[in-house]
Amino acid sequence: MKGEMGGGGMRWRLVEAAAGLLAPLEREVVLGDLAETDCSVWRGLGDVLSLAVRRQLALWKGWRPWAASIGLALPASLFLMGWSVAASGAVASLLGQPAQLRALGLSLSRLFLVTCWAWMAGFVVASVSRGTLWASVLACCGPCLHCLSLWPGHGLSCLRLLVFLLPGLWGVWRERQGLRLGQSLAVFLAAAGALAFLLSGKGGWMYSSSLLWPGLYLTAMAKREPG
Amino acid sequence: MVGEFEYLILSAAAHLGEEAYGAAMREVIETIGGRTCSLGALYITLDRLEAKGLVETWLSAPTQQRGGRAKRMVKVTGDGAREARRFYETVIRISRGTAWGEGRHDRLPEDAA
Repeated sequence: MKGEMGGGGMRWRLVEAAAGLLAPLEREVVLGDLAETDCSVWRGLGDVLSLAVRRQLALWKGWRPWAASIGLALPASLFLMGWSVAASGAVASLLGQPAQLRALGLSLSRLFLVTCWAWMAGFVVASVSRGTLWASVLACCGPCLHCLSLWPGHGLSCLRLLVFLLPGLWGVWRERQGLRLGQSLAVFLAAAGALAFLLSGKGGWMYSSSLLWPGLYLTAMAKREPG
Repeated sequence: MVGEFEYLILSAAAHLGEEAYGAAMREVIETIGGRTCSLGALYITLDRLEAKGLVETWLSAPTQQRGGRAKRMVKVTGDGAREARRFYETVIRISRGTAWGEGRHDRLPEDAA
């Protein structure tokens, strides 16, 4: 592989692209090992992919990827889809009737709670299991795509259905940037999450309480690692 | 006790001494050990050995030979050497008296067939 690396061969670029699946430090080490050996590009590709697959499998032996994808992203997606549709629909219908200011305020506050909860869920998903973010994204997007395919053109616009996705992605992005939440913000988000479930009253207490854990997790993390 | 592949990695690192790192250890395992070794298996096993305290690893300074990339250097710890010796002695003990054991030149059953 020495010569191909030096010549910047297209196949070496393939190996480098596959190495993007590895953590930055490990990527450098593995590409360096391949650069000084005479193995073929295909063997190099196999080396990189086998390491990436083994790393993923090792991650899934722990509780974190399961908690992030099945324990949070999937139920949160189902819960927030329903809430997004209800809250944004209510706001849209009330905007045309300025006389009902109280109802409008209530709907806007519900939308605010959805936004807070979605941001918190995205932040916690990325914080609990950063290496398996792809699985959490799949667990989140699966129900959305299913619903969109079930009810095309029945008043459920993509925008309305996916209102929560933007704050959720924002939460993921902020966590990946290394943001550490202060205790007061963590408690505020946990309280907003709890209030959202009290107001929703849907899905049964077991379902709702299972979605309270992100707030408790954030609060515990903020207490353990202040500021 | 360490496993067979873990033993090969400990032995390769001991062979190489201060020059023990991924690519060199793979070459030793393949040329002396006579078996293929993927970098995936090598690094995952190294992680396991490091978690058990049997090796220490660290990143070296980048070298030109590797396109300006660092090496993951490996050093066998005292516990690692003891575990490797334990494995070796167990293999020697259990092999005594067998057709393939030390000092025996009997024909193996497969050879006879």
